[in-house]
Formats: sequence, C-alpha cells, structure tokens
Amino acid sequence: MTRSLSGLAAIALIAVLLALAIGSVTILSLELWQVIQGEGSALNRTLIVDLRLPRTLAAFATGGLLAVAGALMQVLLRNPLADPYILGLSGGAAVGALLAMLAGLGTLLISGSAFAGAMLATFLVFGLAHGTGSWTPTRLLLTGVVVAAGWGAVITLMLAVSPADQLPGMLYWLMGDVSYARTPWPALVVLGVSIVLIMPLARNLNVLARGPMQAAALGVSVRPLEWAVYLLASLLTATAVTTAGSVGFVGLIVPHMLRLVLGNDQRIILPASALAGGTLLVLADTLARTVIAPEQLPVGVITALLGVPMFLYLLHRSR
Amino acid sequence: MIYRVFLLFFALVSSVFADVCATDDAGHVLCLPTVAQRIVALSPGATELMFAAGAGNKVVAVVDYSDYPPAALNLPSVGNYTRIDMEALLALRPDLVITWVTGNPPAQVELLKALDVPQFAIEPRTFEGVSSVLERLSTLAGTEQQGFAEAERFHAGIAALSEQYRNAEPVSVFYQVWAQPLMTINNDHLIGKVLQLCGGVNVFGDMPRLVPRISAEAVLEADPLVILTGSVGGVSDGQLDRWKNYSRLKAVARNNLLFVPASLISRPTPRLLEASKYVCQKLDIAREH
Repeated sequence: MTRSLSGLAAIALIAVLLALAIGSVTILSLELWQVIQGEGSALNRTLIVDLRLPRTLAAFATGGLLAVAGALMQVLLRNPLADPYILGLSGGAAVGALLAMLAGLGTLLISGSAFAGAMLATFLVFGLAHGTGSWTPTRLLLTGVVVAAGWGAVITLMLAVSPADQLPGMLYWLMGDVSYARTPWPALVVLGVSIVLIMPLARNLNVLARGPMQAAALGVSVRPLEWAVYLLASLLTATAVTTAGSVGFVGLIVPHMLRLVLGNDQRIILPASALAGGTLLVLADTLARTVIAPEQLPVGVITALLGVPMFLYLLHRSR
Repeated sequence: MIYRVFLLFFALVSSVFADVCATDDAGHVLCLPTVAQRIVALSPGATELMFAAGAGNKVVAVVDYSDYPPAALNLPSVGNYTRIDMEALLALRPDLVITWVTGNPPAQVELLKALDVPQFAIEPRTFEGVSSVLERLSTLAGTEQQGFAEAERFHAGIAALSEQYRNAEPVSVFYQVWAQPLMTINNDHLIGKVLQLCGGVNVFGDMPRLVPRISAEAVLEADPLVILTGSVGGVSDGQLDRWKNYSRLKAVARNNLLFVPASLISRPTPRLLEASKYVCQKLDIAREH
C-alpha cells in the first residue's frame, strides 16, 4: 500500500519538475536548480516562479480534486459512469462563470461566481432529491442528471446570445483551462484537508461500495455517510471548477484506472487518486502549452486525448 | 549662442530624465522612462498601427493573423490574441506591450500588469480615435514625426471625403459581417461610420449591440438598396448569393450586391481611408444603378 503510494508520489514529483522545466522557453536542469535555490537570471525566475509554478500547482490541485471527487461519486452512486460533474455541478458553475463574464466582471469575481453557481447546483439537487418519499442513490442520480441537462440548456442559451468577442473566453472556460488560475493555494489546501478528513471514513466506504444493506448490517450509518460523501465531493468539484473551469475526463478515468491496477480499496484509491489525478493534469497542461506553441491549447482537450487510450489499454489488459 | 547651448543642454537633460507619457483607450496614463525599443503588439490592428506610426522596426513580436504590412509576416508570433503565450512574450523582454481592450483575455492582461510589463491598451472606435492612437503610439515609440504625419494624412483624407459626400443622396445599406449566423454592425461600429461618411444609411444602425445577430427576415423587411460585405480582395465570393433568391429585394433587382476588400475595412487602422474611398465609390455605383 505505502509502496504504490510512494511510487505515485515520486512520479508526481517528476511530473512537476518536468512541467517547471519545459515551456516555450526550455530551462535546463542546471538553471532550474539555480532558480529553486533563489538564484538564476531574472527572466528565468519570472518564468518559473511567476508563471509556471502557480500554473503547475493549480493543475495538480485541480486534477487531484477531480479524481478524488470522481472516486467518491462512483462509490456514492454505485455507478461506474459517475463523474464529478454528473449531478450538474459543473453546469451550475459554468452558468455562474458565464454570467460574470457577460457582466464584464474581473477574474476574481468570475471565480467567485463559478463557486456560487456550483454550490447552488449542489443544494438544488440535494433539496430536490431529498424531497418527500424515499431517498436512494438512483433518485439522486436521476435528479442530478436532469438538473445537469437544465444547466446545459441555460449554457447553450447564454452562448447563443453572447457578443462575439466574449465567445473565445467562454468556450475556453467550458473546455477547462488552467492558464487563468490565479493562485493554487485554496485548491491545494482543500485537497489536503479533505484527504485527511476522508481517510478515517475509507473503511466504511469500502463497505458502502458493496451496497447499503450490507453496510447497514455491518453497523455503518448509511444515510449520514452518504450525505457527507455527497457534500464533500461537491466541495471538491466546486473548488476544482472554480480554479480551472470544467476540465473533463480526469474525474471519470483516474479512479477507474487506479482500481484496475491497485484494486478497489478506498483507503488506497482515495489518496492515490489525488496523486494520479494531479500528475495526469500536470502532464496534460505541460503538453497543452507546448505542443503547438506559441498556440495554447485548453488542457481539457489533452486530458481526453491522453486518458482515452490509457484507459482502453488498461481495460483491455485486465480481461 | 549661450541660449542655444542652454537649449541643447536642456534637450539632452530632458531626454534623459523626462518620461514619455500617453493615455490609453482604457483611460490609464502610461509613462515610460525612455521611448520604447522592444514592442509587442497583441492584435493584428495594433501591429498595423505600430508600422503606420513609423515604429515597425521596434516591433519584436506580433500575434497570429498579423498580415499587414508584409514585413509583419516575418516577425515571431506570441500566439493567438485570445490566448497569449506568456512565456514567449516575457522571454522577448518587451519594454512596451500594446493590448486590445476587448480582444485580449482580461486575466492575461492583469498578469502582465502584475509582472510590471508596461502596457498600453488601444481600441479606436472613431476616425479621430485612429488619428489620435497613431499620435500616442508614435509618442511612446519616439517616432512622432512619422506618426503625426500619418495621423494628419488620415485625418485630412477622411475630412475631404466627408466634405465631398456631405450632400450626397442617402442610400440605404445592409452591411453583412458574417453569413452564418447572419451578423451586421450598428452605427457605433467603425464600418458603420464608414457607411455614414459616404452617405450610406445603415438599416440596422440603431441596433443596441455593436455587432448584432439578425434574421434574414429583418433584412427582407428593411429592403435596403445596397447589400455590402467584405471579401478577400473585394472580389465576389458567393457570400451574398443567398440574397439572389429574393428577386423582390431592391438590392437584388438593381444588382447592388457589392463587395469591399475585407482586410481594408475590418481593422481600425489608417487603411480605413482606402476602405472609405472604396465604399464611397461602390455607393456611387449603386446610386447610378
């Protein structure tokens, strides 16, 4: 268990160093070391400390948040197709962000508005699924999917009526883009704290994954656990979406890939998702900003292009 | 003699200590310690304006689609104007970056500000705006002589056209910016101002949005005398063929589906003078049809 986690941590560290070294201006290892020690030329320091480091850390945090949220959602809904966005959270965030862009607000307010939209979506689904009558994951899933479709309609409407000069920014936000991340710290802190909070529950989650009846029979209080997982996954997703827009695919693919390799033990899967999701997004973002430089691709394109073949390979091998 | 020496001394001192200052189109005053030597233009229009202001040889990088003047094609690009490659930009160590008020992403412009890179935001919306931005850019680049002369040439040319077409017979015009979705411009847009200059009456001039999306029905209802659009080189390219289905449209019946070179009219630069002459001639032709 510790071996696979420390292996993933080492890969993550290498990915971060790679991301710091590679860019439109490649900075060789010696110069990189100088900058880490606080020396080096002013240009290299600006490039690494002001541009690449915040962006790389933001990518890592976003990827980690999405992968952990995806793993939690898959356990909660007991549905392999579940991802962090399946309950309409990214839709709510997107409506918030696009409204702020339409109003011409600054980047900070766009982030704030996205977060508010994500939380609104969370509580909307929470309230609707809670309603009267019995509560099941199926009901939560259906409520979320329908609400997500509603958000999708609102997004399409907003894109249709927006002035042409606003469209590129909006589309890049919807595709997921780390380049506008202002500071990585809130996302990193949320990621770290939630991993610490969720680890004691991981054992109960293992039981829950086998079904609520078994879990209840084994003494797990199912309902509070499910709501706690839902709210935590929502907070993680909202933070990720606020940092980098709706980056797709990481939340769906990374937990599945890890389960294929490491087995379905949440005590390993959750921290491993944080590391592997972060690594995947760091690598994807490095490619996104270098592969056809000076053109800059949105990272969401690369995550899908990298993730699909990787996942299919693992699935094929596991048979 | 002493007076002259004093003047010379004063000029030397002032060139060392005095700042060069100008106000940009976002209302910020930019002061540079010396005239700019390494300029990056973050819109194709800005590139064109820098060359027109006589500072083309100080431009070290441009963005994609900066195709005029031809010398701009040889300059390195720092990406698309909607997504700038910040690393490539900073690596060129510019001492002045010309941004585009509504075109460049606000987050990247803010980042430039945070990194203390001098930036000057432009977006001319009027003919006077074009002359004034030429003067201000040449001031920052220390090429006032050329910049002010070009501004004056442009200003005088527009004034002459304005005088010539002051009493011209009004012609109703629909300017098609884009065919699918159908888009046009209102009177606040520079293209709208070109139409007005030549005695054209933009049938959608009062729309609230600068670049409104409209329906084909609205065009049929307005029934303009002329339908105008931009194309490569001003050659007919089929962009207006859809209107030929409506033979009752005045513009179709009188064979007034006309083209202007898109590259002239689409950017807020001194080439608008050429574009205006071209449009005025086209409207003259339409009046005769």
